Amino acid sequence: MDTSKVGFEFPAYTLVVDKTKIAEFAAAVSLKDNLSAINPIYYDENAAHKAGYRTIPAPPTFMTSFFFWTGDGLAEIVNALGMDISKVLHSEEEYEYLGQIYAGDSITRKMKVVEIYERGKKERAGMFVTVAVLETVVTNQRGETVGKVRSLMMER
Amino acid sequence: MTLSWSDLKIGDNLPPYTAGPLTRTHFVRYAGASGDFNPLHHDETFARAIGLDNVIAHGMLIMGIAGEAVSTWIDVKHLKKLSARFLSMTAPVDWDDPENTTKRATIVITAKIVKIYEEERVKMIKADIVAKDLQGSRKLDGYFLAAFP
Repeated sequence: MDTSKVGFEFPAYTLVVDKTKIAEFAAAVSLKDNLSAINPIYYDENAAHKAGYRTIPAPPTFMTSFFFWTGDGLAEIVNALGMDISKVLHSEEEYEYLGQIYAGDSITRKMKVVEIYERGKKERAGMFVTVAVLETVVTNQRGETVGKVRSLMMER
Repeated sequence: MTLSWSDLKIGDNLPPYTAGPLTRTHFVRYAGASGDFNPLHHDETFARAIGLDNVIAHGMLIMGIAGEAVSTWIDVKHLKKLSARFLSMTAPVDWDDPENTTKRATIVITAKIVKIYEEERVKMIKADIVAKDLQGSRKLDGYFLAAFP
């Protein structure tokens, strides 16, 4: 890993949150095969209203999809940091919720490399890793910060 | 069921949430939903080429399942933070050998209230979360913070 990349800022990427994508994601994490089996707040505007949402909300871990469906996804992160993809593990993920993400929102993600550190002893094979800490600020079309993401990528 | 603030005590265990057994189809569905098409999660030949016996679940699928568990305990619009460390790999059920592979592919999410407090006049809880398979192997640990309006 290229440890000189601390402070590197990735380009900002914007995408519109598709209602169908929310339902698909909700089905995937609830291990359901069809829409009628998932929590109705994730596909039915009326159910979302009744539950106190402006419209269909995004599920708790939905922000992960912004990384893969914008820019060059994981490849862009791996290339920017000079990591070997076959040795990379995602080791931690943290979401801070500062607002609600809804279907139809235009979401911008801005990611930065905030820290790179080494852990373990070099002479012990398999026990030495390099860790990159990535922080992302997620804003909506009104410029409101709706979430912050902290991701740790580890290279064995 | 959603929890109410007045009933909660430090040390309370929340009702366990069980998911699975996870199948290769679940991994493919999650890959499409999230956009994470690392072949490690669906292509057995790639998994073998890097020294694994099986494809494995996305860590983020296990965290997504934990998010589902959280949404059975609280209203997700009150979720303030969700944090996870990934601890071990999860292999899917093999349909030609379900007796020996169902337990490794079935995920149970448990949580325990560790803190009850007020922050800027908002009632908050912190709960530690653990995901394990039915063999007792820990997949993920972490915590969530939630507000009670």
